[in-house]
Amino acid sequence: MSRRYVGEWVTRNEDQRLLTGHALFVDDVRLEGMLHVAFVRSDHAHAVLRGVDASAARARPGVVAVYTAEDLGDYWQPGPLLVPPPPIDGIVFNLATQVPLAKDRLRHVGEPIAMVVAESRYLAEDALADVVVDAEPLEPVTDLERALEPDAPVIHPQLGTNLAAHVVQRHGDYEEAKSRADLVLSRRFHYDRGASAAIENRAVAARWDGQAQELTIWDTTQAPIPIRNGLAGMLGLMQSQVRVVAPFVGGGFGPKIMMFYPEEVLVPWAAMRLGRPVKWTEDRQENFFATTQERGQVHDAEIALSRDGRILGVRDSFLHDTGAYDPYGLTVPINSQCTLLGPYDVPAYDAEFRAVFTNRTTVTPVRGAGRQHGVFVMERLLDFAARELGMDAAEIRRVNYLVQDDFPHDHKILFQDFQPLVYDSGNYRPALEKALELIRWEGFPEEKRRAREEGRRLGVGVVSYVEGTGIGPYEGARVTIEPSGRVRVATGLGTQGQGHYTAFAQIVAEALDVDVARVGVVTGDTREFNWGTGTFASRGAVVAGSACHAAAQAVRAKVLGVAARVLNVPEGEVELWDGHARVRAEPQRSLPYGELAMRANPLRGGVSPGTEPGLEATAYFGPDRGSTASGVHAVVVEVDAETAMAKFLRYVVVHDCGKLINPVLVEGQVQGGVAHGIGNAFFEKLHYDESGQLQNASFMDYLLPTALDVPEVSMAHRETPAPMNPLGLKGVGEAGCIPTGAAFAQAVEDALSDLSIEIREIPLSPNRLFELLREAPAPSSQGTAP
Amino acid sequence: MTALPTEVSVLVNGTSHRRAVEPRLLLSDFLRHDLGLTGTHVGCEHGVCGACTVLMDGEAVRSCLVFAVQADGREVATVEGLAPRDGALHPLQEAFRDAHGLQCGFCTPGFLMTLVPFLAENPDPDEHTIREAISGNLCRCTGYANIVHAVRLAADRAAGRAEVPMSTGETIDPVEAPEAAALEAR
Amino acid sequence: MIVDGEYTFPAPRQTVWTLLQDPDVLVKAMPGAKHLTSTGDGAYEGVIRIGVGPVTAAEWSLTVLLSDRTPPESYTMQVDSKGTLGFTRGNAKVELLDEAGSTRMRYRADLQVGGKVAGVGQRLLDQVAKMMTKQGLEALSREMKTRLAEDQEAAPA
Repeated sequence: MSRRYVGEWVTRNEDQRLLTGHALFVDDVRLEGMLHVAFVRSDHAHAVLRGVDASAARARPGVVAVYTAEDLGDYWQPGPLLVPPPPIDGIVFNLATQVPLAKDRLRHVGEPIAMVVAESRYLAEDALADVVVDAEPLEPVTDLERALEPDAPVIHPQLGTNLAAHVVQRHGDYEEAKSRADLVLSRRFHYDRGASAAIENRAVAARWDGQAQELTIWDTTQAPIPIRNGLAGMLGLMQSQVRVVAPFVGGGFGPKIMMFYPEEVLVPWAAMRLGRPVKWTEDRQENFFATTQERGQVHDAEIALSRDGRILGVRDSFLHDTGAYDPYGLTVPINSQCTLLGPYDVPAYDAEFRAVFTNRTTVTPVRGAGRQHGVFVMERLLDFAARELGMDAAEIRRVNYLVQDDFPHDHKILFQDFQPLVYDSGNYRPALEKALELIRWEGFPEEKRRAREEGRRLGVGVVSYVEGTGIGPYEGARVTIEPSGRVRVATGLGTQGQGHYTAFAQIVAEALDVDVARVGVVTGDTREFNWGTGTFASRGAVVAGSACHAAAQAVRAKVLGVAARVLNVPEGEVELWDGHARVRAEPQRSLPYGELAMRANPLRGGVSPGTEPGLEATAYFGPDRGSTASGVHAVVVEVDAETAMAKFLRYVVVHDCGKLINPVLVEGQVQGGVAHGIGNAFFEKLHYDESGQLQNASFMDYLLPTALDVPEVSMAHRETPAPMNPLGLKGVGEAGCIPTGAAFAQAVEDALSDLSIEIREIPLSPNRLFELLREAPAPSSQGTAP
Repeated sequence: MTALPTEVSVLVNGTSHRRAVEPRLLLSDFLRHDLGLTGTHVGCEHGVCGACTVLMDGEAVRSCLVFAVQADGREVATVEGLAPRDGALHPLQEAFRDAHGLQCGFCTPGFLMTLVPFLAENPDPDEHTIREAISGNLCRCTGYANIVHAVRLAADRAAGRAEVPMSTGETIDPVEAPEAAALEAR
Repeated sequence: MIVDGEYTFPAPRQTVWTLLQDPDVLVKAMPGAKHLTSTGDGAYEGVIRIGVGPVTAAEWSLTVLLSDRTPPESYTMQVDSKGTLGFTRGNAKVELLDEAGSTRMRYRADLQVGGKVAGVGQRLLDQVAKMMTKQGLEALSREMKTRLAEDQEAAPA
């Protein structure tokens, strides 16, 4: 019986380097003769760019080059469409992608206008002051409804409209469902923008080796291989001449999957043109203006229910803020549209959205990627319905859950991966019951009453969600046993802290029965692995993990074959044990993997026909469709009605991401996701004024939750295996932050139940909650007892 | 805007460095770019995130808010100097590894350098004290819980107290992965 | 951001009006303005030093345009400044009311701030704008008193 690694807590292979300060991040790249870049960026949300005068900057000592759009010549091209729109009947999609440097229009604050290359970053920033930008401000487009009015200023004149997309998806007959309903509720919901706020800002460094004719690019990207392929095309190089390295990346959370950012396109070009290494590292303020963001949507939603709380149908129509450009297609709004359905049986769904260009930073996925909007709308509708029907918040969810016999369940609409929205497997009710137990739901009314007697207001919330994870198209992995006996695993993903170095090592260690610490994983270097897509949509562990498993199984077969030949026994009599192959009946006849690796790659003699040299295999995995993770969040908050401050007292997550590879890594993902979700719910909001100016572009004003704000999450796991991959895996990277806002809103309302307020917007903030409290009707005459 | 370089002499992790620097050069940039000590990370350049925390004469400071010239004649300790030797870890680093107190690891050096003097002054801190001590360091990945555990673990180990083992949530009716054969049968 | 209010100058309306068109006086009404020269027809150009909160004071270009002038009752003042850290655009409607030897100024300015300075100085901008307005009006008042005194000396009759 071989040892188990999958499902166990093993400490991480990557930690030694990270803890000692020896892990390489992009800004750590130091090269002889390296030049540094700073960008002149737009101060205007919307303007005509009449001219850029860089002559004074070019004359400044220490400045090597200043580039404007004109200087780029043919290299000036709008970026590619990264994700085409799904093939939905009647879809409207208007494409406008970002440009490397603004040419005649400025479309958001922070859009790059000129690139200064100098001997140091300090000198490059000095020279920014010398560049004279002549811009004529235009009326900014910031309100989603106003943007679509016929007389609104148009951001992309060639399109003649600010409409980026219009999508309608339906199943069932909502009008018919509504006509049978005992209760119909409609509400408007607002979800506003937040920042991904990885602690590491973006960075790109590039070196052109003229002798080898090779370009090396270090990039904080979540998708090194597509970046390599794209840049090779743009620069007229063969893909094999370009190496992209995404070394250690200090948090991704989505915006680092956005590809061909202007800076990413310009730095390698400048390195080739100047023949010297060039590096740009974003500063925090640039990050607020220039790194993509997410979350602005306005939903008009309606739910029809029977008297017993069963959902008969839902109608939702929303506006989605796509920002100044839409290179990422419709991933975010499609996720919102699909994820709204949650773990529920919704017989009729009438869903429509319009994506709208605005003069704000471009929108691409941020952890959750639109899913939280859908969850917020559905969960809030259920809460309001439960209140009307006199039902318990848990009960209204319970009666609407899909049950086990319903799987696979086809919602008959298309998901972001262009596949039908089919839930592969799930079992929701046990997760709910466990969450209720852990949050102490049953005893809560008594706890609330007693706290109220002490003058404290407590509230509880419980919400459900599903998350489409682990989508295709594919990832690959190569597993090699080296003559040292160490095992090397290479994949094409980028990694941003998820623990891929360890999780993939566990999968391979288990297949080969070798110590996890002897399995070295390389990710994010296109020289190491040539094929792949990237880390997004909670897919790394599922898709690349499955590829690692397949490659390891193939190597296992090779080990058994070589060992049988060397030990001169039938293959069936060989077993693998702790880095050795041995004869089952005579365990003293044993060979270490290292020796087998050498025997498989002989210097003399022959490698048998039909076999390959070495103990190495490459495998790919591409699921037909994603796997549906799910879960329940429950929270207890305390709200101070005077100060409008809310404190998270208890937080429970029961979730199901299929088979766990490493429970500690999974819990780390969930705890971190909840912290992000708490930030989104109550602390973090990007405040744009009506002229499109971001007003809180620093960590002094944009508040990330600190150790004093985030409670420790109590967790339980359910493992409903995914049928779509051999290990039964589902993704978990985004689960923690998806339903947090909805849970928080329900709990805050519960804490203020005597004031009958309705929370229909996220992020809330102490200020906004204070306003809601002030607008609330006076407490009902029954007094303040809950 | 540039001013004449000034000579500074700084003892960093026990090694003396003498350099001519511009007066405006930040200590963080001096450490990272002039000395190549890139373990100190820069997350916000305005003193909020704490990633760039180093010790100056034993006290935690944000190196993005200190000029290199201010470190003249002082002793600076960075994350590279914590471990007793190559391949080994400082007990606090070990505790971070064992309690999964880091994910992307970018903010980690700042946490470590904040916590070294904190633990020296508070050998037996309770959870709230730990949370207050790290409330000036931002982490986007971990949600802080395991950082708090790591600090407890380090404190318990240092005092020879019983360690609280790494615990994970209960798994309700765990299952085996579906066999490949069953998968193919679908 | 709207900044509005009233201020009474101890001078007759025509005197106030005349002084408000004088670049050497105007420059004193804008704290941080270093110089201002008339480029004709109510337009002026100059340089101003602006610093808000964490944003270091730096020299920005300044243009002022006075329009819709109805002497000595009202005018519109458009003030634009621009620098490496962003821009400000102010549009102020100014009315002068005659009050028995003194003049009451009623102003209402719509102030817009853009770029980096908007992103980091927002918490303080409101206060800074109000403070700068107050400082400016007081400086203007002092300047008027000085000028009036000078005029009286220069014209002993």
